[in-house]
Amino acid sequence: MDETALERYFDDSIANDSGFSLGEGWMMRFLKARGGAKAGGGGGPGSELPPGRDWPRPRPRPSSTDHDDLTRALPVATEAEEESQGAESNTSFCPMTPMTPMTPMTPVTERSGITPQLQNIVSTVNLGCPLDLKFIALQARNAEYNPKRFAAVIMRIREPRTTALIFSSGKMVCTGAKSEEQSRLAARKYARVVQKLGFSARFMDFKIQNMVASCDVCFPIRLEGLVLTHQQFCSYEPELFPGLIYRMVKPRIVLLIFVSGKVVLTGAKERAEIYEAFENIYPILRGFRKH
Amino acid sequence: MPPVGLKCRCCGSSNIVEDDLYAQSQSVCADCGTVCSEGRLANDPVGGSVVSYSYTTQQSKKPCPNLIKGLHRVQALCRVLRLNSEIEKSSQTYFNQACNHESFIFVRLTKKEALAGCCVLISCRMYNWPITAGTIAYLVDTDPASLFRVYLEAVKTLNISVPAPSVSDVIEAHCQAYKITSEHVPEELAADTKELTKRALALVELAAESWIVTGRRPVPIMMAATYLSWQSLQPTKLRQKMTLEKFCQLAKVDKNRPATKRVSEMKEMLCKLGNELPWKTREITPHNVVQQVEDILNYRFALLRNALKSYADSSNADPPQFDIKEIPESEHSLKTESCTVETEQQAHSATDSCDEPNWGKRVLFAPPCVVNAKKKKREQSNQLEVTGDEEISDSEISSYIRTPQEVRNIELTKTLLLKE
Repeated sequence: MDETALERYFDDSIANDSGFSLGEGWMMRFLKARGGAKAGGGGGPGSELPPGRDWPRPRPRPSSTDHDDLTRALPVATEAEEESQGAESNTSFCPMTPMTPMTPMTPVTERSGITPQLQNIVSTVNLGCPLDLKFIALQARNAEYNPKRFAAVIMRIREPRTTALIFSSGKMVCTGAKSEEQSRLAARKYARVVQKLGFSARFMDFKIQNMVASCDVCFPIRLEGLVLTHQQFCSYEPELFPGLIYRMVKPRIVLLIFVSGKVVLTGAKERAEIYEAFENIYPILRGFRKH
Repeated sequence: MPPVGLKCRCCGSSNIVEDDLYAQSQSVCADCGTVCSEGRLANDPVGGSVVSYSYTTQQSKKPCPNLIKGLHRVQALCRVLRLNSEIEKSSQTYFNQACNHESFIFVRLTKKEALAGCCVLISCRMYNWPITAGTIAYLVDTDPASLFRVYLEAVKTLNISVPAPSVSDVIEAHCQAYKITSEHVPEELAADTKELTKRALALVELAAESWIVTGRRPVPIMMAATYLSWQSLQPTKLRQKMTLEKFCQLAKVDKNRPATKRVSEMKEMLCKLGNELPWKTREITPHNVVQQVEDILNYRFALLRNALKSYADSSNADPPQFDIKEIPESEHSLKTESCTVETEQQAHSATDSCDEPNWGKRVLFAPPCVVNAKKKKREQSNQLEVTGDEEISDSEISSYIRTPQEVRNIELTKTLLLKE
């Protein structure tokens, strides 16, 4: 049953359309027909996303690599099909060689399967009252204050391991946390310390200002090639800095791309921006992968 | 006449009259009697003139003297570098544009000087004139890092896309700096500049294929390529014995520490290719690879293909044995120079305990920073799951606050120190 449906589908498509396009639904329909298979089962590696996050769907991006992904997808369908048929499968279904280029579908196979890890979050909060920095530096164990060098108290806490810059206006900058929640908790702890020292500190306008993440694509990247094709976004000066600086427009993120395949993303205000930026850059980097 | 539009600040009425009292005239509100303004000697309008001085004087804006100086500086740089008039004109245009932009109007003069250098660099790049940023940094007497910052800002301000530099473009200019022709050195050490350049270029291209060039500074690579090219043009014992440092002294160029590392990396890469030569009589090692360089360069594409193919075949055939074979070899080769095998073995053992796959050792050519990955001390990934709204214990906060006794001690110590 499955085999004939699939065959019919392909035959129809070739007959009707010269720009044969696999719609989003073909895999789903096929797998539903097989019964019980999880959607996107052929894709594989895209499932290590953090649970419960609003994961942005990757947009379909026509690129040369997608063609490979699709042709790879076909044998998977065959294997799955054979599985369902069992030992006596004498399937006459053979993987079709596309005679016309297929337009890529949006999909699981296109996802990188790599999740950038957050390394640093910078946030600001307003404690809402003027502070006596000398007093704070004297009374707090974990504070340092050198007005000649910098006009703020530098305070550190152990858990979460962060550093805060506390200004006399009552404004505070908290850095070093590895997640938004940790940054918020840390900022609250600093506010509590200041409160305990006798100031009427509050916790107003907490805002994440910057997020830095990094990841590794595990293949070397031809930076010279990348700067030639994406000149308007890239800046690569090997004499001055070994990495390539890619200024993505949407989302507005700056990526530092290194020859080793390591990528640093910064400038985000939200986690989703980082993930989106990485999913945007990954197919571009794949295009510059050399074996 | 009181100025039109003047309102009493007390009652808000606009019924203001000029009252000439004694020698001074005053604007007084007729309704409540408040003095709104006193007459000044010149009787200027209250709140200052609406029309600015520069507008009324009808004088055309003269170019700022610093801008003129900057333009002369740009011209001087172009003359020193012997650039053609198009590049000179283009640099001056860029400099003018950048200086009049808000991001560069109020910057310090040192930054403006760096900007002059950047404009020359940008113009050279646009016209494909081979020049390194290091040269510009030297000429404007800035460190490369600050030059880079100014360069990025200038490119953003001018809103242009500058073609990226390539090592191959600059190698010719670099080789010409070496005083190694027969006029400067004895015949047995001399080399023709054209031949030297050609071979160095081929070496640089080959190095680029094997990931030695990407991300690295170009000067050490060019120096290493020139040195190997010189050695291989006449691979006599005399030349082979000469170290890179002595070669730099001979050719009267400044020595460069990273160039030695590049030489060893290039030699390793050449060994890998040399071992694919069908007519080789013995194992090619970094010691004897220089004699084979000519052959390797002549057939480099084929050798590269073969090397990749045989590596792929060998790693497909017996992946576990590959590691086992490495162990006795590494013990044997401990005394030799840094060998890829050894470093890969080290990298392998270092990353054995690490979860990350060191893909660098699974391919024939990989960027050296991947192959020689430093084992970073991974701090325990503190993935504490927090919501950000937890209760904060008092004891924890108290641990960050000094006891009164501590405070007293600190104050005492401070006063003692101040006394001294």
